[in-house]
Amino acid sequence: MLEARNINFSYGDRQILKNVSLSVPTGGITTLIGPSGTGKTTLLRCLALLEKPQGGEIRVDDDAFNYPWPEEKPFNPPWPKLTTVFQQLFLWPHLTLRENILLPVRRRKSGDINAELESLVEAFDMQNFIDNYPNEASLGQRQRIALARALMLEPRYILLDEITSALDVEQIAKILAHLKAMRGKDIGIFIITHLLGFARHAADQVLFMAEGEIAERGGPDILRNPQTERLGQFLSMIAAAS
Amino acid sequence: MNVLDILITYHVAFLQGLRVTLELCAVIWTSGIILGVLLGVAGAHDPTGWGRFTRGGSFFFSAIPTLVVLFWLHYPAQAVLNVVIDPFYTASLTFSLVNIFGVGEMVRQAVVDFPKQYIIAGQVCGLSHRDLVTKIQLPILFRQLLPGMMVQQVMMLHMTLFASLISVEEIFRVSQRINSMIYRPVEIYTALAFFFLLVCLPINVAAAYLKKRYTRDMSER
Repeated sequence: MLEARNINFSYGDRQILKNVSLSVPTGGITTLIGPSGTGKTTLLRCLALLEKPQGGEIRVDDDAFNYPWPEEKPFNPPWPKLTTVFQQLFLWPHLTLRENILLPVRRRKSGDINAELESLVEAFDMQNFIDNYPNEASLGQRQRIALARALMLEPRYILLDEITSALDVEQIAKILAHLKAMRGKDIGIFIITHLLGFARHAADQVLFMAEGEIAERGGPDILRNPQTERLGQFLSMIAAAS
Repeated sequence: MNVLDILITYHVAFLQGLRVTLELCAVIWTSGIILGVLLGVAGAHDPTGWGRFTRGGSFFFSAIPTLVVLFWLHYPAQAVLNVVIDPFYTASLTFSLVNIFGVGEMVRQAVVDFPKQYIIAGQVCGLSHRDLVTKIQLPILFRQLLPGMMVQQVMMLHMTLFASLISVEEIFRVSQRINSMIYRPVEIYTALAFFFLLVCLPINVAAAYLKKRYTRDMSER
């Protein structure tokens, strides 16, 4: 289980996360929704152990990270058991897309990683651009590569920050189907998304974040019957916008 | 006397001058690249200590004309210290300092401005520190620094001409001496240009090869 307990995070005087607690079980999909600027990405970075909060605890199975973290204490996050796909993707520009996927996995796996890659290439429809460089690929193509890079590492927990924002409907469907299939592999998936349809149909747990707090949590049914006024407003605004 | 006649007649003097120029370059390039890279890396990792030193040195040598530094080290400094130093060493020291701080600042800035997201992406993918440095950071930095570094070294080659002004017997001084004997400025300086082309050609070929091999347009399309 990936867990956050009472996470507090501030930039200077501005408190971004206020006593946030959540858990991401393996074999399930947890979606985080909420308006822009409410701390979703900061929360994901804390869960990914890329930010050190001012208070609280992050647990990755048996590894506990208690904050504030003493400066002199070594910090050894369990990457890539816990890995992240960022909204900005961060593909290495000097390597082809194929090399972007293979570089980390070559260090960790023996055996026929090429065969594994080819099956992923086919699943994500990447045959036509896999040997291009990142700047020669569209944003949608790069999103698929970044996801493939993370999946090849066979993480136990994968955190995804708006990774479908530049994909067309068909590609979103393919990737979401793949994510759903990953549940069977006992992987914990945490995804920040604006795709309420995906949250409704695929998520096991939905978290709604507003003003640095988890304002409401539950199963996908909270998106049909919100219990808080704030989530109700958010859903109404989304419905009005679409 | 045409250019070819001059080259044939004075080839020994020209080759001696060229040898001194190349020796000067060997010292400047080697010290500049090795010590400059070390200084730049130290400056990036220690912004208040080595970083300030690198920035200060780079500012000093870019603000004060190299010729002034060269003359200052050759005349007043030696008079104050009451020593006589071979002008070759004075020129080597001056140009090496210019190159070391020029390269150092270039490297320092590139390391400081290196996009951290590429490192973070590697960390969450489980790359070791060694892999992050050798597979991600160094190749990207190398590609970024290569063109500027090459230009800097060609500039340093051109700067060695100043050494003639403190009596270093490099190729420009040799050319001037031959000119004072036979007064054929057009032919002699054409011959000099030929020598510089000869030296710069391998550098340009190497630069073109390295550029083709290692750099590519990484801008978004």
